[in-house]
Amino acid sequence: MRAREPDADGYVDRGGVKLHWARAADAVLDATGTDRAVLVSLSMGAMWALWLMANRPERVLGSVFIGASVPLGPGYDDRQQPFEEPYTSTEGWARYNRHYWLDHDRDFLGFFFSRCFTEPHSTKPVADSVGWGLETSPEVLIAESHAPWPEEATLRGWGAAGRCPVLVVHGDDDRISPLRRGAALAEASGGALVVLEGAGHIPLARDPVKVNLLLREFVEGLPARSGP
Amino acid sequence: MTLTITAGREQTRARYPDEHGHVERDGVRLFWERYGDGEPTILLLPTWEIVHSRFWKGQIPYLARHTRVVTFDPRGNGRSDRPQGFEAYRRREFAADALAVLDAAGVDRAVVVTWCDMGEALILAAEHPERVAGLVFIGPSLRLDEPDHGQYPFDADPGTGEGWAKETRGYWLRDWPGYVEFFFAQCLTEPHSTKQIEDCVGWAGDTDMETILDGFRGWETKIIDPVEVAALCPRVRCPVLVIHGTEDAQVGPSVGAALADELGGRLVLLEGAGHAPHARDPVKVNQMVASFAGIGPAPAPRTWTRALRRPRRALYLSSPIGLGHARRDLAIAQELRALVPGLEIDWLAQDPVTRVLEAEGERIHPASAWLANESTHIERESAEHDLHAFQAIRRMDEILVANFMVFHDVVREQPYDLWVGDEAWELDYFLHENPEQKRAAYAWLTDFVGWLPMPDGGDREAFLTADYNAEMIEHIARFPRLRDRAVFVGNPDDIVADRFGPGLPPIREWVEGHYDFAGYVTGFDPAGVGDREELRRRLGYRPDEQVCVVTVGGSGVGGHLLRRVIAAYPEAGRLVPGLRMVVVAGPRIDPASLPVHDGLEVHAYVHGLYQHLAASDLAVVQGGLTTCMELTAAGRPFLYFPLAHHFEQNFHVHHRLRRYNAGRRMDFATATPEVIAAAIAQEIGRPVDYRPVETDGAARAARLLAELL
Amino acid sequence: MTTRATSERRRPPEQTRARHPDAEGFVERGGVRVFWERHGDGEPTLLLLPAWSIIHSRQWKAQVPYLARRYRVLTFDGRGNGRSDRPAGAGAYDDGQYVADALAVLDATGTRRAVLVGLSRGGRWAVELAAARPERVLGAALIDPALPFMAPLPREQGYPFEEELDSTEGWAKFNRHYWLREYRDFLEFFASQAFSEPHSTKQIEDMVGWGLETSPETLVATQLGAQPASREEVEAVLRRVRCPVLVVHGDGDRVRPHAVGAAVAELTGGALVTVEGGGHCPQARHPVRINLLLREFVESLGGMAR
Repeated sequence: MRAREPDADGYVDRGGVKLHWARAADAVLDATGTDRAVLVSLSMGAMWALWLMANRPERVLGSVFIGASVPLGPGYDDRQQPFEEPYTSTEGWARYNRHYWLDHDRDFLGFFFSRCFTEPHSTKPVADSVGWGLETSPEVLIAESHAPWPEEATLRGWGAAGRCPVLVVHGDDDRISPLRRGAALAEASGGALVVLEGAGHIPLARDPVKVNLLLREFVEGLPARSGP
Repeated sequence: MTLTITAGREQTRARYPDEHGHVERDGVRLFWERYGDGEPTILLLPTWEIVHSRFWKGQIPYLARHTRVVTFDPRGNGRSDRPQGFEAYRRREFAADALAVLDAAGVDRAVVVTWCDMGEALILAAEHPERVAGLVFIGPSLRLDEPDHGQYPFDADPGTGEGWAKETRGYWLRDWPGYVEFFFAQCLTEPHSTKQIEDCVGWAGDTDMETILDGFRGWETKIIDPVEVAALCPRVRCPVLVIHGTEDAQVGPSVGAALADELGGRLVLLEGAGHAPHARDPVKVNQMVASFAGIGPAPAPRTWTRALRRPRRALYLSSPIGLGHARRDLAIAQELRALVPGLEIDWLAQDPVTRVLEAEGERIHPASAWLANESTHIERESAEHDLHAFQAIRRMDEILVANFMVFHDVVREQPYDLWVGDEAWELDYFLHENPEQKRAAYAWLTDFVGWLPMPDGGDREAFLTADYNAEMIEHIARFPRLRDRAVFVGNPDDIVADRFGPGLPPIREWVEGHYDFAGYVTGFDPAGVGDREELRRRLGYRPDEQVCVVTVGGSGVGGHLLRRVIAAYPEAGRLVPGLRMVVVAGPRIDPASLPVHDGLEVHAYVHGLYQHLAASDLAVVQGGLTTCMELTAAGRPFLYFPLAHHFEQNFHVHHRLRRYNAGRRMDFATATPEVIAAAIAQEIGRPVDYRPVETDGAARAARLLAELL
Repeated sequence: MTTRATSERRRPPEQTRARHPDAEGFVERGGVRVFWERHGDGEPTLLLLPAWSIIHSRQWKAQVPYLARRYRVLTFDGRGNGRSDRPAGAGAYDDGQYVADALAVLDATGTRRAVLVGLSRGGRWAVELAAARPERVLGAALIDPALPFMAPLPREQGYPFEEELDSTEGWAKFNRHYWLREYRDFLEFFASQAFSEPHSTKQIEDMVGWGLETSPETLVATQLGAQPASREEVEAVLRRVRCPVLVVHGDGDRVRPHAVGAAVAELTGGALVTVEGGGHCPQARHPVRINLLLREFVESLGGMAR
């Protein structure tokens, strides 16, 4: 597998904000001849969805956030670990460290996804996710991590500027992004909140039936889609 | 300028301001108040200065719970100054006053709410858009067509003092109070508006006729003219809501509609409402204002729980026809909890069942409030001691479907492990008609099976009951597992000997093949009642008293029986020395509606009535199963009067009581007070020889249910 | 000449309703008064249309309490029964009159736009209203719609209406002379055809009771009112309907065969839901299913309904 060289200009917007995927989404809509769409985002995809809602409102019919990972209010304390310095521990979130990623890529992925899937009997989704994680490289992840997150105020502004219906789905056992951030996002965007009790960070994989039904209900409740 | 103090006459407020003050503008001091905190601020404007800020009293406490609310008294009333001269009372002045108040209260922008706007709100929103986040008009008098001339020119002398002729200068000078009364009666045309009218008249009394006269020369100069309205409307940028009553006798709803149209705003017409819906329908107006402003309690986030995380939960439906089901269901529920620790039970129930449940601390599902009332229906279907139970159920079809839909809404949102229906006809029937709606284990309980025709119903009734029975049999045959459990509250011998109908199976044989038997469920342990003498002591019955308890259970149908027995009381008292008659009216009959006699005791609802029955020397009751069986279990003599045309009481209950050798059946139609008195004398205190009633019914039923959890 | 509703005297006591209206009134059009009721005040508004005047607005009794908890529900008695007037003369019962009455009820209740729900003939009127006044109609749910020319009628229905007939069996009872002679017997027959499902005694009783609230003369007049004259005319109207359409039709419908509903769905571009084993009036015989279908339909109209 060819590793892509990190290219700061290519991955990071001039404004220094993680916007590349937002713009990519825009481009994908164009490439597929899609006028407007309902956005569904997981984890940090929330930021790109928010950017689109605020900056491309005419393209967004509605937005569903699953396990939104957005810096609206504090995250988890145990994630505040040094990232750039060489690691001094290999326990817990100390593994969220660029050097550890380069040294122990697979182990980090296994750890990270075990934190995403805290539900019992989740071996298959964890295995799937680790497999997908191995399809990229630690270098790419490091490069991506260099781009700073948008500021809280910016995100709130995007949330408030959005004009489409919003649904926030969040597990109350999400160890990556606490439920309170999902609640804050619902409030900032004027959206509805559905709490999944006992669910972790990626309920679309671990409780797919429920998430499917919620998505369908949301889409069918939207104002009339394309048409005369 | 004089300042009128209004303190001392005002009724207690529901909410007092958190801040208040005066602000002076152009030499006129305006009194303002601020309640609550939060955004957006709601500014409740004054209207015609004949009333002051208290007219918003229905809105302030509610809105202030959620956000910041500012009010102020108009120049000319309340605690604001009374400047002189017509120009001082131009609506433009009021608009400027509003701005001054916003500044003084430290408010940048507000949602402005106005009643009967005569221009001040429109001016404010058009000329100061940066201060106005939204605009709510209630009954606005801003016209786009002709100016409002009123019925008579203000300076005219119509020669009469009737109706709108009171709105003339001459009349005001003669009889100002008369005009004020008349005017507000036109604002509040809805029936039963006396308090609102009184309030307005009182607020008018806080100012004086001279001040109002100063600022009034007729409506065409009081309200800004249509040309100005048309010029201002296009400059309004904010969202607009117009609320107008269809019966508004001051300003017709077409005015509000035209204004909404012109402003591109939303129009809500309140049917049947008059000119002051904020006063007469405050809940509705409050909700609309809150919704428009985007305030109010945030909708509770919906929750879904992963399967293995869920506690065991049961939804229990208990038929409200009489109180019998509630007692036995409570007993079963308690036994069930003992067998399944941690089991949570929600009840979907209505009056009178809810009274029994609430007294025992049970949780009533909030959706119960949506249930259409069955007891009221049953009472309406009844005549004098006569209830055609089968027809009453047939004519309850829309109530049953409405209540099934409520059930459906509940279980759609909330997963349960078990649904229990004790004679919950709506649940059983519509589940069998819509089996795909089954999403939990389902247990059905009943104490009778088989609709039976009354003899005087002829062929038609025989056909109908057979048809209903056949449908039930077909349902069960087609969907044998829909009922995970069917529990017969009783024993096989309690079942009548009839067939379901011509060509249909014998009832007993069919029930034995399709039901489990729990034995009778008393709802209490007769042994727990304790020693009878001790019990009587506790209840205040003396040993030498012959206590006769008269009750019709939870029914609203028993009034006639109570009256007939009360009529027998004097003669019974002569025949039975030491007779003490205690009449219990029950939760649905007003004891005050019953005749009064010396020595006769009449009570309303008695919780734990079974104790009084167990302590009595004789009970006089209707023919309902539960009360009769309580008496049978307690070994007490009793007279029972089945309701005419009530197949269940006449056939099923009677058959069961015969098996227990219990009670003496009476015929209401031929039971005169003399006959009743004689029967009382014969039966009271008589030793009886009843078959014992099993005491483990609740436990057995609960075991049958627990297996499903 | 108009007859005011005489039902106040003749009406047997109505069974207890599960829900009583929040508002009611009359709207008068051309001297004919039409009685309406409103239940609930949610959004959007649903207008439950009348059907053939053999019945009246109580036909919706199993729908109103459920729908009114969520939406604003309007019903009205079609001219010729209930508390509405019974004008004389066939012209008073043209399709156009019922459509205009529906519009008048919308206007009188200050309703800008509504979702129409129509059963049988009411389905026809819903289609005409949706085609003529699309700006007033959010969507149309048609239950066993009775549109002429869409499919061959069952052979057993092939009796002329106006002639004196020799037979009095079966659909020969659907005849003006028979109605004037044996009105009740006709009602029993028609109701048993409408409710072909077993164990429909209560629904049949209800229909007969409502039929007895009007007179055979009035019912004859309703049969003689103007209707579409040709298949082309009907197809043109159906194709003009732009709003979302749901058609629900019983495949056991003995009054109007399932093929009618299927044709209506196709020509309006609407969805078709078949009630297997269902007769002509599933809203009464299968109320839970119909309630859920209507709710799903209204919810699918989404925010456009606001």
